[in-house]
Amino acid sequence: MNEQAIKDLLYKLADDQLILGHRNSEWTGFGPILEEDIAFSSMAQDKIGHSLAFYTLLQELGEAEPDTVAFTRNANQFHNSQLVELPNGEYDFSLIRHFLYDNAEIIRFEMLSQSRYEPIVKVATKLKGEVKYHVLHANTWIKNLGSSTEEAILRLQSALSEALPYALGMFEKSKYEQELIDAGVYAGEEAVKAEWLKRIQAVIEKTELKMPDLESITPKFGGRYGEHTEHLQPLLDEMAEVFKIDPTAEW
Amino acid sequence: MYGGGNVFEATKFDNLQSEDPVKLAEFEARIARGEKIEPTDWMPELYRKQLIRMIEQHAHSEIIGALPEGTWITRAPGFRRKMAQMAKVQDEVGHAQLLYSAAETLGKSREQMLTDLINGKSKYSNVFNYPAFTWADSNIISWLIDAGAIVNQMANAKGSYGPYSRALERICAEEAFHLKYGHDAVVHMATGTPKQREMIQAALNRWWPPIMTFFGPSDKMSTHTETLMRWKVKMASNDECRQQFLDMYVPKIWELGLTVPDPKLKKNQETGQWEYTEPDWDEFKRVINGDGPCNAERLAVRRTAEERGAWVRRALLNPKAKYVKPLA
Amino acid sequence: MSLKSLDPRVTRLNLPEGEVPPMEEKPELDQFETYEAFHQKKEGAAHTYVGPVHAPNEDVAFLFAKEQYSRRFPCVGLWIVRTENIQVTPYGNDGENVYDMLRIEEPAERTEQPEPYEIFHLKKRGKAHTHAGRIMATSYLGALQEAKQQFGDKGPIVNVWIAKSKDVLQSAEEDKDMWTTIPEKKYREAIAYKVMDKITKYKEENKPTTAQ
Repeated sequence: MNEQAIKDLLYKLADDQLILGHRNSEWTGFGPILEEDIAFSSMAQDKIGHSLAFYTLLQELGEAEPDTVAFTRNANQFHNSQLVELPNGEYDFSLIRHFLYDNAEIIRFEMLSQSRYEPIVKVATKLKGEVKYHVLHANTWIKNLGSSTEEAILRLQSALSEALPYALGMFEKSKYEQELIDAGVYAGEEAVKAEWLKRIQAVIEKTELKMPDLESITPKFGGRYGEHTEHLQPLLDEMAEVFKIDPTAEW
Repeated sequence: MYGGGNVFEATKFDNLQSEDPVKLAEFEARIARGEKIEPTDWMPELYRKQLIRMIEQHAHSEIIGALPEGTWITRAPGFRRKMAQMAKVQDEVGHAQLLYSAAETLGKSREQMLTDLINGKSKYSNVFNYPAFTWADSNIISWLIDAGAIVNQMANAKGSYGPYSRALERICAEEAFHLKYGHDAVVHMATGTPKQREMIQAALNRWWPPIMTFFGPSDKMSTHTETLMRWKVKMASNDECRQQFLDMYVPKIWELGLTVPDPKLKKNQETGQWEYTEPDWDEFKRVINGDGPCNAERLAVRRTAEERGAWVRRALLNPKAKYVKPLA
Repeated sequence: MSLKSLDPRVTRLNLPEGEVPPMEEKPELDQFETYEAFHQKKEGAAHTYVGPVHAPNEDVAFLFAKEQYSRRFPCVGLWIVRTENIQVTPYGNDGENVYDMLRIEEPAERTEQPEPYEIFHLKKRGKAHTHAGRIMATSYLGALQEAKQQFGDKGPIVNVWIAKSKDVLQSAEEDKDMWTTIPEKKYREAIAYKVMDKITKYKEENKPTTAQ
């Protein structure tokens, strides 16, 4: 199997979760109600834990150790989708992003737990249960808020319109797409996207939200190839701030 | 995390003579037998009021205490520290949730408690009005402030009110993780590079004075205090807690070759008591009354979080909802 | 804020500038109503009370309780009951059996068909209520009577909670995998942090040289 192709896939997965985990962690202490603050923090911890699991697989393939990979690269070396690097905005945007992201994530985990690439099967199988909670959390919130007050529906609707072009960017194909499919690693981005659409539509139909016409949306691609918004580098700088004080130190 | 009696301004001593003497005697006998009081039991007004005040302040301290360390989540160096820092700050929010619930069983709603916090009507532990300048400050908080909190909370967990004891039991278990994590981080810095040692010593220098005020000024013994001790509301004096803290942690600071910034600090071998420079209680009073480096920011952040989350809560409010106090 | 915050997150919040009037009192139910949570530590173990959550409905209460009450230590199941749907007896003294002290009145209302009720016991003040079992009855009082028959001699019991089974939201069998990785999350346990080696090594290297 082409190792570059596997590495590319692992970087995508790990970087997405590392960055989203950091964004979500910013809600700790600021949530709309204490209990939700706690739940959101757990999911942020899980995301960062998942990224660590995938960086560890990368290390086994000869990449640098997880701390180095996660906290010393620059934005143009990151393979995450632009969706996860956008600032949190208000809770409406953070929730919609969580909903759009995790409904795709669970499909990836389901596929990867059936993968023909053994090391990834173990990780995906083990962590799938955590993502299941993330999806349950996201879908429950969207169903509840999406059929509540006019104010909430308007907010979610506008967050959805704002986030969708970036969400579609999650499915940007890698240059190894066909190889990964042929090798039975997973079914590829088109397949993930098709299943994702079904699932998010099923939730949105239970609400008063309207699914925008996807044909009219231009996906925000580039993230998978190191092209990012102006928001990523400042976050990476922040993540590396303490490390940079003394690069020789063990913290 | 929580400081001790520091925020106990004396309440007006309610006259116990207005209480039913038979019920009061039963209540006191129950506590004397070592039984816990549960929410639906009869209790004197003074007991109820004092516990609400104490548990509420404790809850506020947790939720505000999440802020100075929350600062460092995105910046925490490396996966190990990052995830622990996230879990620790999450625990503080979780503790607030547990404690607000315990206070609610006594009849004060969470809505009212949060309003009183934001409008400055009720206090929280004064140490959180100081900023965490560097990663080392965050480590010192995780270690020594949580250590102080454990001293206090272990004592209070033996108190007489069931819901508060139950909450504290769990809180202490989680604080044990905070303490070990904080110690681990401080040890790494103190035994690390010269730059790290310099950072941790500087943080210790900044935090020592607030730490010494953490348990509050010496208690003035009064009938009021005696009553609260008999009822197992107040479990140890502020000075006892401070002495216990010094006993447990000064040697651990010294073994790392760090200097405690108090030339007078030493244990008197004859009395077994620690001697130290009297903390600046005037500054303590000034800060607790609003004039500290971070008071305004802490409350503004809390308020902003409440206000920006209001649409979410409005949207989900079930018109048929009916508030009932939590059971235990 | 006149002073620039040290917290980058706070800077991103764009807090309002200058003096602000006091916040209006929070409206009633701003924090929703409460639900009580019971967790199951392992297969076959009785569900034990862990505490309340504030939530708008039981589905959200489940999401909240799962992280507030079962993010540490093994867990295989979680029950959620709206606080209002739990009936509570008075508390007895420690060592006593509250069933013996209660004069259980005739129920004013009954359902036509018996339905299941869940019974929870508190064995000692300050401890947590634990699930004692399920019984069939036509009212809460009938359930209490029946519970006394079936579980009443397992004293001391200082307090009893009763809820209709239909009011108990129970986690599903297939949801158990949401908890499987919890015991592995050692980074939030005290035992993961061991620094004695580092301290000993430091002390060795920095021994004060004894003047000879």
